Amino acid sequence: MRKTELIKGTLQTIILKLLSDNERMYGYEITQKVKEMSNGELVLTEGALYPTLHKLVAEGFLTTETEKTGKRIRKYYKITNLGYVFAGHKIGEFIDFIRMMSQILQIKPHLS
Amino acid sequence: MELKKSQIEYMIADLHRRGLVYQPLEEELIDHVCSMVEVRMEDGMRFMEAYRSALTLFGDEREIQNLQQQSLYNTYSTRFAMINNYLKISIRNLKKHAFYSIINVVGLSIGLACVILITLYVLDELNYDRHHDKADRIYRIANHIRFGGNDSWYAVCPAPLADALMSEIPEIEVANRFRSWGDFLVKKDVENFNEEGVIWADPEVFNVFTIPLLKGNPEKVLKDPNTLIISESGARKYFGDTDPMNQTLILNNSMNYKVTGVFQDMPVNSHFHFDFMLAMEGLDESKNQVWLSNNFQTYFVLNENADPGRVESKINELFVNHAGPQIQQIMGKTYEELENEGAKAELFLQPLLDIHLNSDLIVEFEPNGDIKYVYIFSAIALFILILAMVNFMNLSTARSADRSKEVGIRKVLGSLRIYLIRQFLTESILITTISIIVAVLLAILFLPYFNNLAQKSISFPFSNPVFWISLILYAVLIGFLAGIYPAFFLSSFKPVSILKGKRSRGAKSSLVRSILVIFQFAISIMLLIGTAAVYNQLNFIQNKKLGFNKEQVIIIDDAYVLDNQINSFKEEILSDPRMRSGTISGYLPVSNSSRSNTTFWTKGERTMENSVNMQKWIVDHDYLETMGMEMIEGRFFSSEFPSDSNAVVLNERAAGLFGFEEPVGQEIQTFRFQPDNSIDEQELETYHVIGVVRNFHFESLRENIGSLCMNLGQSTSKISFKFNASSTAAVIDLIEKKWKDLAVGQPLQYSFLDQDFGKMYAAEKRIGLVFTSFAILAVIIAGMGLFALAAFMAEQRTKEIGVRKVMGASMGSIVFLLSRDFSKLVILAFFVSIPLAWYGIRVWLQGFAYKDVPGLYVYLAAGLAALFIALITVSYQSIRAASTNPANSLRDE
Repeated sequence: MRKTELIKGTLQTIILKLLSDNERMYGYEITQKVKEMSNGELVLTEGALYPTLHKLVAEGFLTTETEKTGKRIRKYYKITNLGYVFAGHKIGEFIDFIRMMSQILQIKPHLS
Repeated sequence: MELKKSQIEYMIADLHRRGLVYQPLEEELIDHVCSMVEVRMEDGMRFMEAYRSALTLFGDEREIQNLQQQSLYNTYSTRFAMINNYLKISIRNLKKHAFYSIINVVGLSIGLACVILITLYVLDELNYDRHHDKADRIYRIANHIRFGGNDSWYAVCPAPLADALMSEIPEIEVANRFRSWGDFLVKKDVENFNEEGVIWADPEVFNVFTIPLLKGNPEKVLKDPNTLIISESGARKYFGDTDPMNQTLILNNSMNYKVTGVFQDMPVNSHFHFDFMLAMEGLDESKNQVWLSNNFQTYFVLNENADPGRVESKINELFVNHAGPQIQQIMGKTYEELENEGAKAELFLQPLLDIHLNSDLIVEFEPNGDIKYVYIFSAIALFILILAMVNFMNLSTARSADRSKEVGIRKVLGSLRIYLIRQFLTESILITTISIIVAVLLAILFLPYFNNLAQKSISFPFSNPVFWISLILYAVLIGFLAGIYPAFFLSSFKPVSILKGKRSRGAKSSLVRSILVIFQFAISIMLLIGTAAVYNQLNFIQNKKLGFNKEQVIIIDDAYVLDNQINSFKEEILSDPRMRSGTISGYLPVSNSSRSNTTFWTKGERTMENSVNMQKWIVDHDYLETMGMEMIEGRFFSSEFPSDSNAVVLNERAAGLFGFEEPVGQEIQTFRFQPDNSIDEQELETYHVIGVVRNFHFESLRENIGSLCMNLGQSTSKISFKFNASSTAAVIDLIEKKWKDLAVGQPLQYSFLDQDFGKMYAAEKRIGLVFTSFAILAVIIAGMGLFALAAFMAEQRTKEIGVRKVMGASMGSIVFLLSRDFSKLVILAFFVSIPLAWYGIRVWLQGFAYKDVPGLYVYLAAGLAALFIALITVSYQSIRAASTNPANSLRDE
């Protein structure tokens, strides 16, 4: 939660990457997955997540499918071909960004 | 841990209460919250506890709103999706209010169809004569002559002018002349055809105009006498598929002409259309050096960069230099002296491109168009379009009450004003686009009718991309214009006041709407008054006492082909008991017959004061009886008086101009014309006046009656017969039979005097038709708008009407209540339209020397007609509203 300001610019990248690795996910699942992967340090707010998802759908990077689970309807997100390409591009962009920042800030993070 | 159905329902309801409205997000958020609750319940929380905890994490109402707003913004920030959304909502709205949509579309399509047709017409009119390569440098020389108190404007000049121009004025590149002899009879073998488009032309015509030759050499044709060139369609008519070159055609049964070339048919958009051009070389008159007779249409090409104004004054100098000595010789006075006495002969230039719309001189090749019609048509198209757009605006703003809730919700959800404006504009552009499509179909359907109305043969330029592009531009532009006011008006609503349940200003703020309705009806009433005024004048013309009797007179054209058998033809026809009398004369009191102007003076010394310029008509003994004119003094020509060969009959006007107190017995003189049309100072003719005929209208009623005299002579271009009523068919039969016997192979052309008289007012009849058509359209559009507006108002007042009925109001009083407001508007519109219509009618009637100014009743009739139409329209809606059962309208209260 502390890192909101920095997270904002990378939210799209995170979602695209998650959906590249998983066939389909629903909103709550994404928040939980991020929380789990960051050891509880990064909690996505709904207020940031859903608008971003909708935007990615509108731009054609994601598609949705709905399914009835139990007593309610659940909406899943899937990545499109275009989204794959875009995900790669976004990640590349982010690596460049880190590299540049580390030069400026004179630090040496290890990038796997 | 599975949630129970009731628990899920509880959460859905609660989230809705907290302001969850955005549908695409709804299911997802519910699922999200459910998942959170489930996790917490698995950790041992009870349902309500889990829900509350989830909600705290999730955020309050504010956060929910924020979330929805963000999603909306992100989804629709991409352009395409945005437009897509606008369109979707627009289509939904149009469907939902089909009644109003249809009124809008029908009105706009009618308006647009008018605009499309009239645009085609205006473009057509503006594009005359542009096909000549040098079009912008070609001028025609015209002639303004003032003599004996008469002003005349001629499109013709003296024969030697063209040569003088080329040799004496360096700014003139080349000049050419045309000389028209009117209709010709043309035959190849036996059968004669009557041809209108026959002209004598100089070979320079190819250097001035662009007339492509399909056969023959432009350097060589039109040089030798007795040769002609023929148009493509003319060649087909006479020679079929055979080669016309070097074939012979016989003109007027006497002149043999060899075909030496074929030219492309002249385009429709040309102020002249010839089918035969004869070499000027063969016309003796073209070689004379007489500067005082005007018979040749003269065109020239000005050098590039030369100043037409300066050339004009040079041409006038040249004219005075050449004509001066001839004037001196004939009149015994110099040109300057004559000018000081008020006479004048001034040449002026007409740019070729102005001729079609701005020239109406004596001896035009064809009746030209008139810039006035371009203006009238354009103004009417604009009016009709505005009427239709007003409907659109009125309905949109009136229905704003309906839409105010939509505006409120959209604004609450964070819609910016600009989005709302775009939404409303999309709706209006959608409507105009549909209307344009309907309009094009309507225009195609009504094109033949319009062509008839505008006397055109316009076709649709489907293959022209400019046409399609301008249609699309029209749709966007008009949609924008019609939608911009409602868009700003509707989007300006404050959400707080709307959602609190306050009625929007829409239904009540009717000032703008009232003004627009008044405007619509003022235009409709103006057009109605205009229609009435035109028909009033036409009726007046039809019933005016003309001084001659136009009924039951048949006129046979080209009678000269009967040659020396003309008298026996006349006698044989007259031997039939159905015929009353007949006369041989080309001079008839309708236009399109012979005219001749000559100056006379009272016998003795010739001065400006005792000279009268007048028509000199050549008639025979039976003229007066056949035409039904009336003598007021003296007698008409009679075969009992052999001395009548140099007698003259004046009309009242001429007798007055001479100042005769006792006209009978007076003597007047004039020059005797030489065979080559020149004048010899010494040779005079003297006539004695034997009678005065009552003034009769020999030109259209636009003109005052001019001075005129008649004398005996041979004028064989027409024969007219007066016959008994109710035997028209038999008379035509009889004449056809006799004509075939005596004029073998010649075409018979006849007409009736009253028809020819009617033709002089073709332009007025056209205006009448134009006004009628457009007045009907205007009334339909305005009526439709009112119909919809009334429907809407009645709908708004359903509850009020219900309450009134419950309280005992009669149906009549409710209809009155609803109709009253609109009637007021129509009556106001009537008063607005009166001064404008009055002014318009005055301007139009100024063109007539004889007119019937429409009385007040004409205005009242038009106003009442409009009121009546408005009342019918409104009362349909009011009666419907008044007859609904109040139980239905009040049930929900």
